[in-house]
Amino acid sequence: MKRLRLKLGLGIAALGLFGVLSPPSHAADKDLKIGVVAAESGSFVSAGNTIVAAAKLAATKINDAGGIKVGNDTYKIKLYIRDNRTDVNVTVAAALELVNDIGVSAIWGTETHDYSIAMAKITGPAKVLQFSGNSSLGSALNAKSVAPGAWLHYAFQTEPQEWQRSGSTAKGVLSLLTPMLATKPVHSVVLVGNDATGQYLSSHYVKALEADGQTVDLVKYPPDTTDFLPILTRIKGMKPDIVHFWYNGDSTLTAFPQAEQIHVAPAYFLFGVDPGIYAQRNLKATVPVAMSCVPECWGGPKRPEVDDYFTKYFASGASKGPQSSVSLLYYDYFFMYAKALTQVGSVDNPDGVVDALLKMQYQGVVSPVPLVFNANHQVTFATEVCVVKPNTSDDFHCATEQPPPAPPPGDAGG
Amino acid sequence: MDIFLQQLINSLSVASVTILIGMGITLIFGLAGIVNFAHGEFLMVGGMVTWLLVMAGVNFFIAMFGAMAAVGVLGYVAERTLFRFTLNRPMNGFIMSIGLSVILQNVVIKALNEVQKSIPDPIAKVWVIGGVDIIAMRAIVVAITVVVVAITYFGITRSRYGVALRASVSDQDTAALMGIPVRRYVTGVFIYGSVLAGLGGALMIALFPITPFTGSVVIIRGFAVSLIGGLGNVGGAVVGGLVLGLVDALSAQYGYPQWTDAYSLVVMIVILILRPQGLLGGTLGPRAT
Repeated sequence: MKRLRLKLGLGIAALGLFGVLSPPSHAADKDLKIGVVAAESGSFVSAGNTIVAAAKLAATKINDAGGIKVGNDTYKIKLYIRDNRTDVNVTVAAALELVNDIGVSAIWGTETHDYSIAMAKITGPAKVLQFSGNSSLGSALNAKSVAPGAWLHYAFQTEPQEWQRSGSTAKGVLSLLTPMLATKPVHSVVLVGNDATGQYLSSHYVKALEADGQTVDLVKYPPDTTDFLPILTRIKGMKPDIVHFWYNGDSTLTAFPQAEQIHVAPAYFLFGVDPGIYAQRNLKATVPVAMSCVPECWGGPKRPEVDDYFTKYFASGASKGPQSSVSLLYYDYFFMYAKALTQVGSVDNPDGVVDALLKMQYQGVVSPVPLVFNANHQVTFATEVCVVKPNTSDDFHCATEQPPPAPPPGDAGG
Repeated sequence: MDIFLQQLINSLSVASVTILIGMGITLIFGLAGIVNFAHGEFLMVGGMVTWLLVMAGVNFFIAMFGAMAAVGVLGYVAERTLFRFTLNRPMNGFIMSIGLSVILQNVVIKALNEVQKSIPDPIAKVWVIGGVDIIAMRAIVVAITVVVVAITYFGITRSRYGVALRASVSDQDTAALMGIPVRRYVTGVFIYGSVLAGLGGALMIALFPITPFTGSVVIIRGFAVSLIGGLGNVGGAVVGGLVLGLVDALSAQYGYPQWTDAYSLVVMIVILILRPQGLLGGTLGPRAT
């Protein structure tokens, strides 16, 4: 019996000694579940892939740095990526799965207005934060819809409001092109795809051009047009000073070379086409050509932080597309969200996170000035506009244009 | 007047690629009885093969033959492994072809990525004649289309092969009893239609950038052209293509440009109501007695 007691005593002592000498045990890192809903197939794939690539890059960076400290716990981001196949029904199904079955804390995406709105009907009641980049969300985000308890309280628009972007773009395009033209441009033609996004975006851009003294004709084409020659022939007959190819980068890259073949105008503006693509395709025109990026071009002169970002972005296997710059509209907000979670000290307090985001000034890659959400859950930042010299593919001059202080006459905002 | 003439010239080039795809569809359905909705993706693959070869330094016109050969092989494989099993059940073949089109899109995205592809202008010249711009490459596309149409038309109407083919369309069993290898002819027609799609893809990327989704856009016009002219009728595909080209060009100039597709489809509907067999009349596909 004595022997048994001795053995027991020694055993307990050994265990105690082991406990003293062994390093303090860490609780395992917890998973922070974040959903990404984006088009990895279907016609919006070039925009959708930018969301996925940016999300992966941000999650890797945060996890490699040790994760997110929230209260006494450390969280590693676990992404749940869902391909919406450029289909609103698949988008809704994906959002339902992410919210109800997986229990994500936040969702990044989608790339289009109507899909984002449909998704917000699911994320809102479930108190799941939603970060969507499309500028057309501005038509739905207002004091009433983002109020506590309202359906868009947890939705954030990570792209600037369209009247802001249109205003800064129009000003930048005209200020860069005017000195390169023989006479001051007064007549603009805006060529835009006739879909919901094209109609919404061009309505703001036309007002912005008119506010800058342009007489504007709006010409719409059926989405997915490939042969633009008949429409461009009509535009040539209108004798414009500048033709603005608006909104869809792929369509613009299809239409612009055709326009240059028949010399439609003395200057062009290509919205959504990165200078990097212009150079890569060795495009050339006998006249000055402006282009803009949201928010910063990957192919033009860049700030070191942006340069570093795109180096890593493309090294991760993401394609060099006309819309690659859009990825920035999603990347920074991972860090902003992580900071808000740390401040709130809990992953189960979405209302606290919303409040923290609204009070936060976050200095990210996307803008030289800190990112700030306004009361309607929207951000503000400048647009980069570049112009390429005639007969060159890579001789760019770029400028950053700040948005106007208020919408132009006739533009109700949004 | 210059503008009107320019739009007439435009309509010819608009029509050319559409005629090529419409002709492929019309031959494959009219003579082989297969409704191949993946025909647009065959065209897209032809464009992508051309892009790969041109980017590798191959001359465009050689790359064009490479694309025709590659898509011809694709057609052979598709017919032998898929469509031969659905010859008696065309609806099964149709649904299968929709699946094939989605698969081909995603295979191309996986292999090459989703980004739009373009090649430098094979011939960058533009002639200005009487105030009308004539783009050299478009003129070449029109010329190639004319040659291909002529070869196809005479091949079907005048050659021994064509006579046998038409006999097998009229009555497969009798044609088979007379020693015509009907199944082999079906394969041959499918391959030829696929080769035309490959040519269409090569010519298309010479004019416009293409994406993995280009096929799903052009297929609608291809079927419209085939129906307007009359399924199975080569001349009908030409007439259908010209009608759509004219409607596109003139409506872009004198109508609402955003409605150009709608105008084309309205014309198709009206023609099909007035002449259900198409403008030049077509076949109802091969028949077995």
